[in-house]
Amino acid sequence: MVRLKEVVEAEEGEVYDIELEADLLEANRRLAEKNRELLQRYDVKAIDIMGAIGSGKTSLIEKMVQALTGKYRIAAFKGDLTTTIDAERIERHGAKTVTITTGKECHLDANLVGKALQRLDLKEIDLLLIENVGNLICPAEFPLGADQRAVVVSVTEGPYMVIKHPFIFIDADVVAINKMDLADAMGVDMKKLASDVKRTNPKAKVALTNCRSGEGVKEVIDALQL
Amino acid sequence: MTSLLASCSVLHEFSMTSQIVKNVLDEAKKHNAKKVAEVHLVIGKLTFLGLEQVRFSYKVLTEGSIMENSKLLIETKDGAVKCSSCGYEGNLSTKDDPLYHMPVPTLQCPNCAGTVNIIGGRECLIKSVKLVVK
Ligand SMILES: Nc1nc2c(ncn2[C@@H]2O[C@H](COP(=O)(O)OP(=O)(O)OP(=O)(O)O)[C@@H](O)[C@H]2O)c(=O)[nH]1
Ligand SMILES: [Mg+2]
Ligand SMILES: [Zn+2]
Repeated sequence: MVRLKEVVEAEEGEVYDIELEADLLEANRRLAEKNRELLQRYDVKAIDIMGAIGSGKTSLIEKMVQALTGKYRIAAFKGDLTTTIDAERIERHGAKTVTITTGKECHLDANLVGKALQRLDLKEIDLLLIENVGNLICPAEFPLGADQRAVVVSVTEGPYMVIKHPFIFIDADVVAINKMDLADAMGVDMKKLASDVKRTNPKAKVALTNCRSGEGVKEVIDALQL
Repeated sequence: MTSLLASCSVLHEFSMTSQIVKNVLDEAKKHNAKKVAEVHLVIGKLTFLGLEQVRFSYKVLTEGSIMENSKLLIETKDGAVKCSSCGYEGNLSTKDDPLYHMPVPTLQCPNCAGTVNIIGGRECLIKSVKLVVK
């Protein structure tokens, strides 16, 4: 009997064992690195702004654009399920804005951001503000290639926000605790929220803000070293 | 709010799982497989992927394809951290919240005053597949 050392042709019903070792999240992280390199090549600072629905991400971006126009040439990306409402709000302040419609996806990913980057003339930009989809969970899983990640939480989300969703804060460089004007009405202790963030992530810088009036936005800008 | 977040979280697993299924089907096609017998995943505990939701999505997404009824093996991986100051390596630690008395994850090093970096537990890996070929 001759034994073949190498099976060249598969037999009927034969089972193949295939090592794939394909990491889907790692694939995103690699694309994020590419975005980061591209942005660095053109000397563009990029900030990924995350936070729950309605926490004040667009309001913060509007105030940042108002404060930083003149110092930086600013563009913005807005990840949105379908609409362009937020993009129009930001554009009014003079920042070129690209809406990235994510369709069913509840977060931006590095691939979508890479495509949107091709729509900008990076030579004409110094600062890119990226508003992620309103969601406190999945965006943290998908780095986009930004230099820094900011999270906007608001007191209207209640006192347990940080301890219930600690993981989004683990990757945050700066955290804005927003709607400080409503803290008393909500019975929320902002100092406690700030210390919750610090306990989970001692490196995160925390600012208390009112993104409607603009109070505290300077602290966010300083924390981002802009 | 909670239900919205919860549904978004299911959506998250659904979209990750559909990418997994697509990758496996592509691989199966490459090898002219007539059936996928088994899929072996590794999912890190620091991802936001709930295993129940992944299993449910997998079942729904593979129906009617050559992956239907395939065995789904999910291996989990602990979150691993390393301290940039003292070199401590271990699991991600938790600290108790003094007010609500619940453990909350922290990047504070359990060994020194430094902070740790996450070095593992963020995997969503298709480790291997078993294909039945003609
Ligand atoms: N009282 C108060 N209202 C605020 C503050 N910041 C934002 N708002 C209001 O909260 C609402 C939501 O703010 P947005 O900036 O649209 O929030 P967002 O996070 O961009 O929301 P999505 O993109 O839909 O997830 C708006 O009506 C804002 O005017 C604040 O500091 N105080
Ligand atoms: Mg918005
Ligand atoms: Zn240490």
